[in-house]
Amino acid sequence: MPGITLLCFAASYSVAFAIELAGLWVRFGWHRVAMIGMAIAGLVAHSLYLASIAAGDVAILSSPANWMLVVAWVLAALYLWVVFAAPGSAMGLFVLPLVLGLIALAKNTTYQPFADANAPQFWNWLHGSLLLLATVAVCVGFLAGLMYLIQSWRLKHKLPPSPRFRLPSLEKLARTNSRSLGISAVLVAGGFFSGVVLSRLKDGGNTDYHLLADPVVLSLLGMLLWLVVAEIFRLAYPAARQGRKVAYMTLASFGFLVITLLTFAMTGAHGGPTVPSDNPDRESTSMHGANPTKVRP
Amino acid sequence: MKLRMVGCSHHGSNVAMRERLAFTPDEAASALTAWRESHPGVEAVLLSTCNRVELYSASNGDQPVPQGSALAEHLATCHALPVDEISEQLVTLDGDAVVEHLFHVAASLDSMVVGEPQILSQVKQAYELACRLGSAGPHTHGCFQAALRVARRVASETALHRHRVSIPSVAIADFASNVFERFDDKQVLVIGAGEMADETLRYLHDEGARQFTIINRSPERSKALAQQWDADIAAWGDLHQELVRADLVISTTAASQPLVTLDNFREKIAGQRQQRPLFLLDLAMPRDFDPAIGDEIGTYLYSIDDLAAACDRNRKRREKELPLAEAIIAEETQQFLAEARLRTTSPLISQLRDEWNLIKQAELARLMHKLDPLDEQAANEITRFADRLVNKLLHPPMQSLRDEAASGKPTGLFEALRRLLQLKE
Repeated sequence: MPGITLLCFAASYSVAFAIELAGLWVRFGWHRVAMIGMAIAGLVAHSLYLASIAAGDVAILSSPANWMLVVAWVLAALYLWVVFAAPGSAMGLFVLPLVLGLIALAKNTTYQPFADANAPQFWNWLHGSLLLLATVAVCVGFLAGLMYLIQSWRLKHKLPPSPRFRLPSLEKLARTNSRSLGISAVLVAGGFFSGVVLSRLKDGGNTDYHLLADPVVLSLLGMLLWLVVAEIFRLAYPAARQGRKVAYMTLASFGFLVITLLTFAMTGAHGGPTVPSDNPDRESTSMHGANPTKVRP
Repeated sequence: MKLRMVGCSHHGSNVAMRERLAFTPDEAASALTAWRESHPGVEAVLLSTCNRVELYSASNGDQPVPQGSALAEHLATCHALPVDEISEQLVTLDGDAVVEHLFHVAASLDSMVVGEPQILSQVKQAYELACRLGSAGPHTHGCFQAALRVARRVASETALHRHRVSIPSVAIADFASNVFERFDDKQVLVIGAGEMADETLRYLHDEGARQFTIINRSPERSKALAQQWDADIAAWGDLHQELVRADLVISTTAASQPLVTLDNFREKIAGQRQQRPLFLLDLAMPRDFDPAIGDEIGTYLYSIDDLAAACDRNRKRREKELPLAEAIIAEETQQFLAEARLRTTSPLISQLRDEWNLIKQAELARLMHKLDPLDEQAANEITRFADRLVNKLLHPPMQSLRDEAASGKPTGLFEALRRLLQLKE
């Protein structure tokens, strides 16, 4: 949509975050209304921005930047849902920085489409969607883990709850933590193996692309291995099924996610040739979306 | 207002006296039924809580309200006590003071823990019981309905009820609720059977907890508490095993040494719990649990001192709200009393209006008879002129009565008007 840029919704989310942050010290009658209003404005602008991409000739999950913007959109929508479902919780202090971080990462990465033009659309969609949901699950687990540690620290230090900084109960946070760890393990595994299938279908006999030479694949494999180990640890050791240990595990999962996302952002179009090609025409035809020149600012 | 209240509260009577005068709902119903039989036509509402027993009475019609001694005698008779034994502990309030007192009681400004929410429902239940038995009447209807409205206004316009101040309520609402999302599936262990344990159990029960186990050195005392809360009883020797099973522990024993040391906890409890969250509320003095247990993973240990600080903080916050709550009560009391006084003048106003209307109609009839036949428009104009004249003449005395009622009893003006205009009683 003309006129809507990344800056529009990033600014709205930033103002919502600033209002939420200011609420720790001072609150006005219009505080909550202003915060929700700015978050809704941001989400509307964000949705219109993504809709304009989807309406164009590039698929919504077809580039690293778009993919990160969709993850940010899902997290922002989850935040708004929590704001209405559990009014008074300080969720924005945790979710909005993550949303802004993803938008910043999207701004600094490429809109160049992924290289999978020869692959069936279904596997493209499955691979992108599973990894998108896995990212959301890891982010939710990370936020729950962070809140768990803060809430546990407050309770250990006998600090009474403040109406300006309300967090969910430890039981609820531990349950969210535990579930998100299990769900993210399944989704990352699904995303990884659908990527392997996609790579096979796409490249066939293409020797320019080596799966294990792609840094994004390697970092994703590292995250998958960590999640599998964490799940086995959880199942084998009952004390790790709840409480701080799960919180630490979700924080570590987020660490792996950050590495994957940074690799993703820095290496440009994931899935492209990993062996330098002396034929530029061949390289361009291996890019997904049939419009590799479409690069947004 | 023809209102009178006789009763006792935590301000002037000890627990023993309040216990002797307390009424169960069935006893209150019997007392009100007996009152109706012995004082037909006299309204009565009986409010009985753990902190107060108050009998409100109002006269209906021209009947005088019974003396305080009659109310005291009724309270004594219901409990088969000699009236002399209780009369010194009883307080009597009359008229406007009853209204003001009831508004304070319903709004929880007269409670032992100012701002506690239970009193509103207790006042409501007392009033509803009187309505059901037919012992409430126009005066008590007005007074109690206004009190309930005032209490709700104080609750919504001030933060008086938002800050909890009793140790068990702070422990459950501010801390246990931040550990556990729900209580209905949690195992609650009570060590000892003291009053604090009883009060904490009440809060936990209100939050939905249902699985209680009581463990006490003396089984007799634990039996009574177990019966009250539908709880299981465990043997003292099973303490460690029960601590492994529990999610929430309330300890209130009078033991001189800690019941559970850090080594005990690590050796016999922590390992089997597998770091499952444990909320420990140590209300004993000296403490039953080694404070170092609170540093163990998954264990949240609170003693009286930890909670007292939170209670004091909340109490100070409540004190800031008191002037606003008092201002609401004062405003509502004044308004209620002004309206009640105005209602007492309404028969005089009606009488005055009726008599002047009779005069007006007689004079109109005489005038119409004397004049040549008038057309309809002229006759209507003359009638409207007479109506306006009467209304304008009536307006100043009525306004004066209203103003007098707002500032106090309009008895003097009331009598003056009656004599001046020769209105009969």
